[in-house]
Amino acid sequence: MAAGSMVGRTLSDRLILVAVIVLGIVMVAPIVWALGLSLKTNAELMVDTSSVLHAPYTLQNYWDLVIGSPVFRWFVNSMIVSLGMTIGVLVLSSLAGYGFARLEFPGRDIIFVLVLFGLAVPEQAVIIPRHQLFSELGLHNTYIGLILPGLSTSFGVFLMTQYFRAIPREVDEAAMLDNATRFQVFWRVLLPMTLPAQATLGIYTFLHAWNDYWWPLISGTNAQMYTVTVGIASTQINFAESAGLGFLMAQAIFAALPILIVYVFFQKYIVRAVSGGAT
Amino acid sequence: MKRRAFAGLAGAALLAGCGVSQAPNEIVVQRFFGTCNAQYGSQTDVAAAQTECGIITTLINKFRAENPDIKVTVSTVAWPGYNQLSAQMATGDAPDVVTMHESAIPDFQSRHLLEPMGEELRAVGVEPDNFTEASLKGVTIAGNVWGMPFDTWAPLWHINMNYFRQAGLVRDDKPILPSSPEELIEQARQFKKATGKPYFVQALANQKPAYSRNLYTYLMQQDADFFADPKRIKLRTPEARRIVEMFRTLYEEGLTTRDQDYAAATRGFMNGDGGVYLVGTWMIGDYEAESRRPDRPLSNGYTVYPYPQLFPEKDATFADGHSWVMPVKERTPQQRQAVYRLLKFLADNNFQWARTGHLPAFTSVIESAEFKALPYRDNIAKIALTGTPLPAGVERRFAIEDTIGEELAPAIAGQKSVEAALFDAEHRVNDLLFHVLATSGEP
Repeated sequence: MAAGSMVGRTLSDRLILVAVIVLGIVMVAPIVWALGLSLKTNAELMVDTSSVLHAPYTLQNYWDLVIGSPVFRWFVNSMIVSLGMTIGVLVLSSLAGYGFARLEFPGRDIIFVLVLFGLAVPEQAVIIPRHQLFSELGLHNTYIGLILPGLSTSFGVFLMTQYFRAIPREVDEAAMLDNATRFQVFWRVLLPMTLPAQATLGIYTFLHAWNDYWWPLISGTNAQMYTVTVGIASTQINFAESAGLGFLMAQAIFAALPILIVYVFFQKYIVRAVSGGAT
Repeated sequence: MKRRAFAGLAGAALLAGCGVSQAPNEIVVQRFFGTCNAQYGSQTDVAAAQTECGIITTLINKFRAENPDIKVTVSTVAWPGYNQLSAQMATGDAPDVVTMHESAIPDFQSRHLLEPMGEELRAVGVEPDNFTEASLKGVTIAGNVWGMPFDTWAPLWHINMNYFRQAGLVRDDKPILPSSPEELIEQARQFKKATGKPYFVQALANQKPAYSRNLYTYLMQQDADFFADPKRIKLRTPEARRIVEMFRTLYEEGLTTRDQDYAAATRGFMNGDGGVYLVGTWMIGDYEAESRRPDRPLSNGYTVYPYPQLFPEKDATFADGHSWVMPVKERTPQQRQAVYRLLKFLADNNFQWARTGHLPAFTSVIESAEFKALPYRDNIAKIALTGTPLPAGVERRFAIEDTIGEELAPAIAGQKSVEAALFDAEHRVNDLLFHVLATSGEP
């Protein structure tokens, strides 16, 4: 029996499979539509978007984007910010998670609860004081300024804490019997065991950093410091939805490419992250 | 290990220090209108450029070429860019000159973030007395000029003359336009009966400001002083009710398109969805071009007019405009001089910008033969006189437009009573303004 065949499946399995396929098509259709629109001229689309269903197609919108804007500079900025944030979050969340899961210190539980409160505070609520603080420190229009706010992630600390807690303490004790220091236990024994959680958290953080628009918009205000989301938005002509639709869609597809690649290669971890199954 | 730590610190220092400094002869021009460098990045022939983006890009290229002693750095922002600008001002990193809607000037001027510009404009030969009436109103607050107007734009009636002919609404090759709400509804019914199409094409699905601009125009035509106090709006009036009820009737009787967003309505008018599309000056060029294509609904059958006068009290159309403003910041004398040289250049080339469809900001241009020779500009030139912005002291106009639009949409679609919608709109706008003024510490 071929894998994926309907033969031999129960009726409920078949219904679920059909539903999944339909949902999959519903999810993919807008992306395919956007891709199709990006391959048509703006003038054609201004009259009729159904022209996407037939030739001619063109790569002119992508060409315009590549040669008409410093998009590669914005790509580099986004890559530095996203990777910087991802590495920072992994380091800090792992250390904090280990601390909360394994170390005894006064006020630990209260501090952990305070960290969790961070999950309930939306970014918009702190954006003005944060902006003022970064102004005082002269950090706007710098990579550090774009990366730092993303490092304090309550979700990351919570996730790593739970993961470390799930590892039996006997593992630490066995390592310590072999004369390992506490840092060696953390670095050489426990941390490798958390790699699935690290991957999940890393991908999640990367996706969030890459897609972030609000903070880069008001912190990286110099065109040289635009991330790809802000930069691409800045290239849009007024009323792009009617007069520049093909170009707009080319921008959307172009900006989404790294994310699509991450999804394709790391979907297992993303599913785990979304389903909360990292532990 | 030490080496790694040193490398890490060096990297962090590099990242932190990656700011951008400005040369003494460099000015940063921040604007919207998008990027079109692929097509116009190296062009200096302004007369050959098309579209807002193409013309402004080419204008600045030409200025650069003619002024090699000035370094012009252009920073394009996502429309309209005011969050970004506020953030830049807060960090002391404001650009030297910025595109700004005239309706947004009070938000920044009231916080002392803009420089008055009248004196220095005069000094370089840009005379505010030469601004059109609409433009002068748009940039003047408390007797001072806070920006150099670049254009005036207003919502217009874009008309499919082929359908109008079919409906018997053409005389002497001109459309017969209504002169009262009752006549408008009668003509709309006549139009629908003859063509089978709705009279209006409207972007009712996502264009909240469109509702507000319709309301403003017809309140202004009734001479209703709905912002007698710029800190409070008055909408629970018979004048406002009359307008909303008129649009509700049009909606209920299917005399307007429904559920179209901006893109669908823009495309729909092109494809013959209805007779009159209510949208701004910027669409003139596209529709004029479409009217020259054969076998299309608009073939040889397009014209455009200001909103017709439906009320006898006053001929007025709500208008706004794009302007250039100077944020308060420290500049070298060279930079200050460079900004005004650029502004003088843009003023001198205001006709080129008027090819976008927007009305020129200068009387000398609007009265010029070359402007009048542009298609349909004679029809709409009077907006330079009749175009009326909200009173100078009204702040947060974008937010007000959205709020009013959110309330009028359900009222016009019959999901909310007109009375309740006007009550809620008035209450929400006044609440917004109260909190804005409380936050800014103004009396």
